[in-house]
Amino acid sequence: MDIAVCVKTNPDLQLMRVKDRAPVLEAVPFKVGDLDKNALEAALLLRDAAGDGRVVAVTVSEGDRKIRETMKEALAIGADEAVIVSDPALDQSDQAGVALALAGAIGKAGPFDLVLFGEGSTDGYSGQVPSRVAELLGLPEIGYARSLQSTGAVLRAERSMGESIETLETALPAAVTVVSEINEPRIPSLMNIMKAGKKPVVEYALGDLALDAAAVAPRRAVRSNLAEEQSRKHVLFDGEPAAQAEALINALVAEGVLGR
Amino acid sequence: MEKVECIVVGGGLAGLVAAYGLAREGVEVMVLERGNYAGAKNVTGGRLYMRPLRRIYPELWDDMPFERPVARELITMLGDGAATTVELASERLSGPSPQSYTIQRAKLDQWLADKATAAGAMVVTDMKADELLRDGERVIGVRAGGDEVGAEVTIIAEGVLGLLSGGAGLREQPRAADHAVGFKEIIELPPGVIEDRWRLNEGEGAAQLFMGDVTRGMTGGGFLYTNRASIALGVVVSMEQMRTRSDELESWELLDAFKEAAQIKPLVRGGELAEYSAHAVFEGGIDKLPRSYGAGYLLAGEAAGFALNALVTVRGMDLAIASGWAAARAALAARAAGDSSAAALAVYERFLRETFVMRAMEAGRGVPRAIENRRLFSEYPGAVARLLEGFFAVDDESSATLVRTSLRGARREFLKIDTLKDLWSLRKV
Repeated sequence: MDIAVCVKTNPDLQLMRVKDRAPVLEAVPFKVGDLDKNALEAALLLRDAAGDGRVVAVTVSEGDRKIRETMKEALAIGADEAVIVSDPALDQSDQAGVALALAGAIGKAGPFDLVLFGEGSTDGYSGQVPSRVAELLGLPEIGYARSLQSTGAVLRAERSMGESIETLETALPAAVTVVSEINEPRIPSLMNIMKAGKKPVVEYALGDLALDAAAVAPRRAVRSNLAEEQSRKHVLFDGEPAAQAEALINALVAEGVLGR
Repeated sequence: MEKVECIVVGGGLAGLVAAYGLAREGVEVMVLERGNYAGAKNVTGGRLYMRPLRRIYPELWDDMPFERPVARELITMLGDGAATTVELASERLSGPSPQSYTIQRAKLDQWLADKATAAGAMVVTDMKADELLRDGERVIGVRAGGDEVGAEVTIIAEGVLGLLSGGAGLREQPRAADHAVGFKEIIELPPGVIEDRWRLNEGEGAAQLFMGDVTRGMTGGGFLYTNRASIALGVVVSMEQMRTRSDELESWELLDAFKEAAQIKPLVRGGELAEYSAHAVFEGGIDKLPRSYGAGYLLAGEAAGFALNALVTVRGMDLAIASGWAAARAALAARAAGDSSAAALAVYERFLRETFVMRAMEAGRGVPRAIENRRLFSEYPGAVARLLEGFFAVDDESSATLVRTSLRGARREFLKIDTLKDLWSLRKV
């Protein structure tokens, strides 16, 4: 079973602080994204259950994030090969542009029976890229899988739907996103870390994928992704408890919080 | 068993510089770091002395991620409810080639790890070396995370406690008497506030050391270094004196009290606590150094005892870097000779002597005994303040001239046999 796993280089959230409503990324190490590790683990289990095939980690460059180090980590965890799309034009790109680059790389490095993703990235967490890639590649997509089984031609997935669990089957090839409870990602052993340096890493530029800077240019700008700040009224009521309660009720009614 | 040419245990300054020095010569070298990034487990007061280091791999330092070059040095004596500060601002401290920089290890160590990686070293994080593999006397590699990896030379740069080398009997187990313990807070302040508070030009930094009440008379002191947008405030105190106190004082309480002291409070006002850390520091001095080499291994950095207590400051990072450099050279010499026996690696000691490491350790020989003298930390800071108070005093009773008052004060405070003895004991510090 040949599986592509899309991987993003993400900050280690445990070491990140928030100051003035913005993340402090100074000196924070970047690693394989948390949910991407679940996708990678799922891929390795499926590959090993099938008894043959390869797992290819795919990523795109993003500013000065050290994607080659991330790919080494993915190879140490157990991927057989790594594919990198590296182009300065991708630095400013958005989910649509990143999906084009990933789909191009997967198409060129493939064919694959399965394309796996974490349900979202550790930092942006828009969850858009998997569906965009699936659409570009013309694949059926199953989102939020909490378990995966393959019989070769058919893939069975359980999806977390909040209140219920949905079981779906799809013919391969397909695209699947996984949630964190699907597995416990393995920690690479020293031997596997040492072997990772010798595994193949393929690098593409956008031109190799019949793309250019214009194709991946962002089509929209994020002005803010912060939750709206709610101002509090800080009203204090004085007096006897009964009078305070009366005043509070009146205030809540006046605000429309309590009805008549 | 999988093999590499060299294993470096510890991704701190000594280990990373050694790895860089080996990798740039084409040696297959692997660094094992137990933290989840290089620098994760390391604590510094905050200042790196750069001048002696510029000769070591000169190409390396151009883009070092420093916080501020230190342009102002202050020493503050706290005692008897008073603070006396000696202050030096000099063009020769900063200028085109500053003597020292304030730094933060999380940034510096990751930057150095990147340099080593770019040179071809393999830096493995989240990987604790559990044990040294031996063949008789010889160190032949390490066991880490269940795997065994062999190496021609293992450079042990595991830091102050030396658990691996101590466990293998390559050095003695650490004793409290040879160590101090340091506590530090990083307190965020806007760069402009830092520059105003310490009267600095834009981008320049200050180093302020404190002795006296900070440690309640115990050996040690306080420190304050200005980073770009934060200050590092901490206390270092003798582990043994702390351990043998009869009261209930906990060492971290010293830092809390220090921060609340009337003379310190205005310096940290408005700051936001961002980080807290603590670490042991070796201060046994040159007489307590372990043998730094043997068949198949070298000790570098604080694992080799290269740290220096100079009364109120502790110096170690420049020694770590220089010893890492010397370790790389020794391993390269062994490789060229095809011999990594103890006799071949003894060349390490010569390289250490060629650097400032052994000169600095030698110069600090008298310090451990001198600083056991508690008068330095309990009596003198207050005495200095009283003398100056006499100088500045204006009241009904002062009829004598300033000079006479001062001389009388100086005689009263300092012309004692103990003081003269102390001065004599400090002549070499």
